[in-house]
Order: sequence, then C-alpha cells, then structure tokens
Amino acid sequence: MFASVSHLQPRPTLDPKLLARVRPVAAASARVLPVAPALESLFGGRGLQRGSTVRITAPRGGGGSTLALTVLSAPSAAGHWCGVVGMADPGVAGMVGLGIDLRRVVFVPTPGTAWASVVGELIDGADMVLVRCEQQIAHPIARNLVAKARDRQVTLVIVTSTPEQWPLPSDVELSISGATWSGADGGYGHFVSRRATVSASGRRGAVREHVAALWLPSSDGDVAVATR
Amino acid sequence: MDRLVAVGCPDLTDEGARGEQLRTFAKVVEAVGELCPWVEPIRLGLAVFPVRGPSRLLGGDDAVVSAVANALAQVDPSVVIEIGVAPGLFAAQLAARRGLLISAEALPEFLAPWPISVLARPELASVLPRLGLRTLGQFAELHHREVFSRFGADAAMCLQVAKGEVGELSGLRDPSIGRRLRSLTASASPLPSQTTFLGGMGLADERLAAAARRLQAQLGPESVMVGYDHGGRSPLDQASLVPFGSRPVVTSHEAPWPGRLPSPSPMTVFTDARAAQVFDGEGDQVLIDDAGLLSAEPARCTVNGGSERRVINWAGPWPLLEAWWEAPRHRARLQLLLTPATAILLVFEAGSWWLEAVYD
Repeated sequence: MFASVSHLQPRPTLDPKLLARVRPVAAASARVLPVAPALESLFGGRGLQRGSTVRITAPRGGGGSTLALTVLSAPSAAGHWCGVVGMADPGVAGMVGLGIDLRRVVFVPTPGTAWASVVGELIDGADMVLVRCEQQIAHPIARNLVAKARDRQVTLVIVTSTPEQWPLPSDVELSISGATWSGADGGYGHFVSRRATVSASGRRGAVREHVAALWLPSSDGDVAVATR
Repeated sequence: MDRLVAVGCPDLTDEGARGEQLRTFAKVVEAVGELCPWVEPIRLGLAVFPVRGPSRLLGGDDAVVSAVANALAQVDPSVVIEIGVAPGLFAAQLAARRGLLISAEALPEFLAPWPISVLARPELASVLPRLGLRTLGQFAELHHREVFSRFGADAAMCLQVAKGEVGELSGLRDPSIGRRLRSLTASASPLPSQTTFLGGMGLADERLAAAARRLQAQLGPESVMVGYDHGGRSPLDQASLVPFGSRPVVTSHEAPWPGRLPSPSPMTVFTDARAAQVFDGEGDQVLIDDAGLLSAEPARCTVNGGSERRVINWAGPWPLLEAWWEAPRHRARLQLLLTPATAILLVFEAGSWWLEAVYD
C-alpha cells in the first residue's frame, strides 16, 4: 500500500556518482537473504547472511550450476537483484524451473580479462553475485572481492570445479557428491531427476556440518529434499 | 513518387538469439543518418532515405551512393551492404538487391522481369503462375478492375505496385523496428529503463542499472544480459539472453510447444556449435537412419575433440521435424549419460552430432 503511494510522487533521478555511495535503509532482519526451502537445512535454518561468501564445489557437469542457481532463486523471487558472472551459456529455461525470477538477474556471461572489475561493479549494484571460476583466482583479487562484498553487505556465491581455484576459505562451503541420474533407460524414457548428496561446512560456526540428500533437480525442474 | 535510396544488409534480416543483428543494423542506420537525417528504418536489414536533397548537396545520385558506401565501410567492413536507388519503397528495395540506379522512366521495365514472389503474397505467387503469369511484367498487363473483382483489394494494390504506379506495398514495413532501435539507443542513455519487479524504478533498481550501465560502457552492450523466456522447442529457441535495457523482460509463459524438451531443463545451453561423435562398442560411428532409429547402441562419446567418455545410459532419439519457412529441418535429439555422472543433450542434423546442452 505504501509502495503504491510513493509511486505517485514524482521522484528525482539520482546522480550515478551518488548512487554508488548510498544504500537503502535496512532493518536487522533484512541482513539475511531468503533461501530456497530445500537448502534451508544446509544454511543452518538461518537464511543467507548478507556479506557472507558461499562456495560451491562440484566437477563440471556435476550439478554445480543447478545448486548455485538454486541459491539465487529465493532472493530473486523476493525482489533482490542478482548478478551472474562467468556462466557463458546459461540455460534460461532451466533457471525458470528452479524458481528464479529472470527479471531480477543480470548476466555477464563472458567477462574475459575484466573479470575482477565486473564482479566489483556488480557488488556495487546487486544484492547477490554468483561467480563461476574458470581458472585459478589470485589471492589478492579474491581477498579484495570478499572484503568489498562484506563492506557492501552483498552475498558472494563462488562456483568452482576444484577447491584450489578459489584461494580463500568461505563462510559456507557446499560440495556435491554421489550424483546419480534416473529416467534414461536404454533409449526409453528421458532424464527425470538427479539425486545427489550435498555436504555443508563452514568457519566460525557459520553453519554446522550438515549433509543433505537432494533432488538436483527433481522431475518438476526444481530442487527438493530427497526423502527416500 | 519520391526516389529513394535503399540500404540493405542481407545478413542482418534475421534477429539472432542475442540480438547482435539488431545492434549492427542500428549502427548502419546511425551512420546513414549522419549523411541524411531523414533516414527511415523499414525493417531489420533495410533502411531508406529520399535521394533528392543529398543528391543536390553532393552533386548527383552516384555521389550519394558512394558517400553512403564509404561511410558504411568504416562502420563495420564485415557487414555486406547493398545500395540501390529507385522510385518508391518497393522498387528501391529491389534495386538495392541488384545495386542499381533506376530512373522514373525505367521503372516499369526494371520491375517487369521480377518473379511474382517478390510481392510476398503466397496466394498470388501460387495462383498467378498457374494462369501463365510468372513475372511482375506479365501480371502488370492485367486490368485493375479484373484483378480487383477476382482477387480483391490487396491484389489490386499489388497490381498497381507491379505496374509501377504505386511505390508502397503493405507488408514491407516492420512496424516495430523503430521502437526496437530506439530501445537500443535508450540503453545508451545514462539510466536504461529496464522494466523491473514492481514496474517502476526503486533505489535498488537504479543502483543496479547504474552498475550495468558502467559495465556496458566499458565492455559493450552485449556484456550485460538479461534472460528472456519466450517459448519454443529447443532449450536454445525457448529462452535467450538479450542485452540489459534492450527490451522489457517478460515472465515465462507455458506455450504448448510440440516437441518441447521434457522437464527438467538443462542448466547449460550452448549458443555456439560444438561437434560431438558417438561410437558403438566396436568403435563405429552411431548415426540416425531415415526411420529415426540409432544405427547401433551408443557406447562412447567425444565432444569438441575432447577425450572419449563412456556412455552409461541413453534416452531417445526423438525426431524433430520443423517446417520452418520452406526448408524443413530434420533433426533428432538424444540424451546421453556419461561417466562420471554427466548428463548431456545431443542433437543430430545432416549426418552429424552436436552438443546442445549439459545438465550441470
């Protein structure tokens, strides 16, 4: 109701230089971003801390994209802006299946050598930034990005295929193992779902060690807790 | 009838998944606009302007044509440009295809040899040749009243165009092209008007737009993209990325496309061609025969010349027949499960396999 009233007022456009230095006012509860129900247990039931770093490690093709994009689903659906850097060929239809609101996601598919400055700019603009590492990231660059994200209260989601690619420990570490696909059978059927085990650990007690069996994705195209 | 200079870009008539054709065409229109401010984009790949004013200024039609050609060669030498001058839009676009300057007197003679199909009226193109009328010249010999009573008002207008009496034919113009080009230039303004969650621009939206704008200024408009789901058969047709600020993002709609890939959809969908090869247990290539069946059970697979991986299981192939315009595309899809636990989607077309997507 209040939003509709404020929309009636003509609002001046802010100077871009000023925009880079201001933030909307936020209550303490707004320091947490929402998390998809299937991932709640992995984050200790406390949501996604703003300014924290989440690293997802999975071999290429092993579900890293599905898990990382699921982390974006609830925040984007709640209206938070998300940036995605380095996913060269994102499957947009699949992202819709995960519950992502495409209207709140901007992609920089091929940042090239400007990689670090692209992530830095998106930290200035978005509430959450997903980064797919293609190669080894230098220690000082990673440290600067993590510091900037903490300062601006932006959550970083790092996707790597080997742990060495990202040289810093993260607040939450997620890794995927034991992925099995079902549905394809000697020419019959089609890929229906992938069951995988996701392990969560963290430093400074950010999360407790936790292991969850997930459909990554389920037959509906979203990510769900595998109960059987 | 004004004589018009038509500037055609035959490679830019179809909009690609990422809209790069539209952006290149926008550059062409901008460059022509610097020579003549009355340039008018007609559709993707075609723009016109009246020749009279520039011709007086530059000293003749030939001078105008070479000035345009020189200006466009500097924009992007890889873009093929066709330029022609003729009275009226219909003749001008045909003149551009041939690279000719057509005077008002020569117009009927120029139009006469073109086939009926250039009118873009499928019903006329199928009926008239059966009556022995294969060219615009033969069609133009009919009488206006006969054509009107037999084929209707639209055909009568086509007749006037074929006779060279009328310069405009409905259907030549894409009414959305101006808006689409403007949306590109709008994204070059300080704050792009990306339609957002609540339809308006909040502070968070303005901050994001400012960051996206800085990146676009630094790395080009295609560097920052937004997703756009518009229905379609393959994951590639179904959804695509468009530059931030270039067009309002619509939400997904469940279009009942036949042959649409079953859920779940892959998370990585390649936009470039990646060749793949599928082998059976004996090391022979696995292909799809005319009946749409695999020639053998797949056992191994390589992608993009990479190392061979074992096939654990597979699903398909599913044939896909797409009668897109006149040339039907025969394609088939195959899902492969490779070691270690990687699910991929291959497409088979014209004797070759291509990697379309990975279920990452």
